[in-house]
Amino acid sequence: MWTFVFKRFLIAIPTLLLISVLVFAVIQLQPGGFLENMLEDPRVSRETVERIRQQYLLDQPVWVQYLNWLGGVLRGDFGYSFLNNRPVSELIWERLGWTVFLAVITIFATWVVAIPLGIYTALRRHGFGAMLANFIGYFGLATPDFLVALLLIFAVLSAGGTSVGGLFSPQYIDAPWSWAKFTDMLSHLWIPLIVIGLDGTAGIMRQMRANMLDVLSQDYVRTARSKGLAERVVLWKHAVRNAINPLISIAGLSLPNLISSTIIASIVLNLPTIGPFLYDSLLNKDQYVVMALLMMSAVLLMIGNLLADVALAWADPRIRYG
Amino acid sequence: MSKRRALWLVGFLLLGALALAQSKTISSYSNLGVTGGKAGGSLTLALGSAPQTLFYYGAIDSAIQTLANQMFDGLIEYNLANYKIEPALAVSWQISGGSRVYTFNLRRGVKWHDGRDFTADDVVFTYSQIVANPEARGGDAGNFAGVKIEKVDTYRVRFTLPKPAPAFIHYMRLPIMPKHKLVGFSQEGGKAPAEINNAWPTNVNPEEVVGTGPFRLQSYTPGQQVTLVKNPNYWKRDENGAVLPYLDRLQYLIITDSQARVAQFLAGNLGQINISGAEFPDLKRREVQGAPFKVVQFRALFGSPPHLAFNYDAKNPELARLFRNSDFRRAIQAAVNRNRIIEDVYNGLAELPGNGVAPISEWYYDTRKLLGSYDLKAANAALDKLGLKRGPDGIRLLPSGKLLEFTLTYGSNSTAFTGIATILQNDLRQVGVKVNLQGILAANLLSTGRGKDWEAIILGLGDQPDPELRTPIWKPGGALYYWHQSTQPATPEGAPQFNNFLPWEKEIYDIWEKAASTTNVTQRKALYDRWQAIFAREAMVIMIAKEYAAGAVSNRYGNYVYSLGVIPGYNPVPLMFQR
Repeated sequence: MWTFVFKRFLIAIPTLLLISVLVFAVIQLQPGGFLENMLEDPRVSRETVERIRQQYLLDQPVWVQYLNWLGGVLRGDFGYSFLNNRPVSELIWERLGWTVFLAVITIFATWVVAIPLGIYTALRRHGFGAMLANFIGYFGLATPDFLVALLLIFAVLSAGGTSVGGLFSPQYIDAPWSWAKFTDMLSHLWIPLIVIGLDGTAGIMRQMRANMLDVLSQDYVRTARSKGLAERVVLWKHAVRNAINPLISIAGLSLPNLISSTIIASIVLNLPTIGPFLYDSLLNKDQYVVMALLMMSAVLLMIGNLLADVALAWADPRIRYG
Repeated sequence: MSKRRALWLVGFLLLGALALAQSKTISSYSNLGVTGGKAGGSLTLALGSAPQTLFYYGAIDSAIQTLANQMFDGLIEYNLANYKIEPALAVSWQISGGSRVYTFNLRRGVKWHDGRDFTADDVVFTYSQIVANPEARGGDAGNFAGVKIEKVDTYRVRFTLPKPAPAFIHYMRLPIMPKHKLVGFSQEGGKAPAEINNAWPTNVNPEEVVGTGPFRLQSYTPGQQVTLVKNPNYWKRDENGAVLPYLDRLQYLIITDSQARVAQFLAGNLGQINISGAEFPDLKRREVQGAPFKVVQFRALFGSPPHLAFNYDAKNPELARLFRNSDFRRAIQAAVNRNRIIEDVYNGLAELPGNGVAPISEWYYDTRKLLGSYDLKAANAALDKLGLKRGPDGIRLLPSGKLLEFTLTYGSNSTAFTGIATILQNDLRQVGVKVNLQGILAANLLSTGRGKDWEAIILGLGDQPDPELRTPIWKPGGALYYWHQSTQPATPEGAPQFNNFLPWEKEIYDIWEKAASTTNVTQRKALYDRWQAIFAREAMVIMIAKEYAAGAVSNRYGNYVYSLGVIPGYNPVPLMFQR
């Protein structure tokens, strides 16, 4: 097991290097750049732009810039944000807390809702409840995040509510934690949970349902039933445990969504996550911020994959790594 | 009372006035509905983006510009009703030496937020070490090249210009910074010129950020909000002598999405928002139905009225020749349905534009007659007269036999520009001109225009209180005179390429040269009137419309004068109060 993890770790190094080249190349291919945008302001002279270009080594050949950047990253220095005149890592760190918090509870809520629903809809395929759950699932898959967000905001406004964006009411943003602040957060939290989680919930629910239907028709389930085992045992001990396996790899893939999937929802709902920050940096061509976030996303994807593999091995005795 | 006692009394009064701060009483704005307010309360506003820095001159960033308006003051400010220049940190000034020497008498007794005295040193430091520093990203070095800035005494500052500049006074609205907090980032403090941009990053201790403005920084929560609190020692008073600002606290929520802003306003979480013409009808309907807020509109001086420009140096020589022809541009202008654009695109919240000058400005020359009226028949006749015959499918043909078509570049993420572009495309089609639309990000419009690869473009460039401030745009050969780039100097510091000037461009150029060195206001006005008339007559660029400023404010607040937001020296917020 540990050799497997170690091997995966070694493979990750060249992969990440390759990704870093790609990320850098993509940024270089973008037309214009932060400095070109600056020229739009009449107060900024050509000479000023030239001096900043030198300051950030942007007058050097591309490969020198790349090596400089890579060298920095290896030392834990992700470069400087042109826009904010501050180190990139500080800026990301400031925004990471709420991003992780939202992602973790969304993933958790998604699973807690989706798996039982998947099982339920598989068992009662033609019942009213299953049809309703399926309908909501399709709806969730088919509707873009921002539209769901706008619909919910509209609903809350029509009902006279005031929690239509952000994670807190304005008076609680800077306030120390208290019971009132906590309940205020809960009153805001459900909208982002639904908006961000709906897609995932619908997806996992359908996956779980399909897996269950698959498993229920397997020989060993029939064998278990014919042995006279209680239906409860057949279901939970044999069917569900096997049906859940493929979902574990999906779980790993959901880690990089921490950064990318919440962008639109965060902008519409005004959530303090990394999403709007990435969006803003992309628009302003703040290249080191964008590269750092893209690299982070790649690293998270690899970690997620690794965790999924490990979890799979732990959950399924048939899988062994040499 | 004996003479002697009276003298003593006058003496005491004078001393008293000196010892206390010299305060400025805000004159009555009863025509704007301003009344006496009451102290206390707080107001929550929206910021469209997170601030990139907390140092005004460290970046060109609308968020810090908005915040700086509340935290800092300039030497002068604008009257809220008519945009005329009024004293702010300077109580008075003399202009001598043929508009070359400006001497400012500073307000005494003004304190920085940390209790230090504001003096001439701060003004000299701000202009010489920051504004004139070419490496300060939000500075204005170009307009201060060769300007000598010196301290006369503790409360007097003198600017000596290399040549007369009648509009120079307008640059005096830039926010004054505290020398004692920033000297460590300056050349005077032994640092490299670019170091100034590192002052007050967003994670700075709020105590460090001190100004003289009505509010001071309390905290910044990254990506979420900025909180300002009242400066109890502010130097402004209302008519009744009460201390301004009335409000105890200003809270800025960072909300990037305009729909989210409207939602937060409707939910009562924001006290005031600035809105666009597109958002106006829905909010107005709610107001009429009894919602607890008011939607207001004001004719605006600032803001960027869109225009339609043709590339006089287009790559296709046939098109370039046509675009240079004033008869062609006038013919196209006759197909521009300005009234429909004002109704449909701006929901009526706009007026006919000026030519380089906002209609509300004192410099405006009434060009409405010269703008022509929407008349497709006349447009057709004019195009016929140019020898552009219609082809078999109704599209006109160029002399070479090719179709008369061109690409119109517009900002696809701006509702207004998109609407204008489609209306133009449709109307021009009817006079046999084929327009191909090309949408790009609005933020890239100007850099596209300044490039060579475009044919026609819809672009907006901001209006200012004095035409002189817009020299690079409207004076042929200027850096932003982008529609005729072959007039621009071959080298950055060189003279314009006069041989490429069209006759009327030369005329405009001479007018601007003359106006820049004329100090007599009446003569300047006459010169700029002539320029506006030529601009309109030749349809240099085709001005489309001038949008009003619109905003919505909760009924909980009084004395709301629409805030133009990011214009330093225009700040009505201290007058607002919570009912």
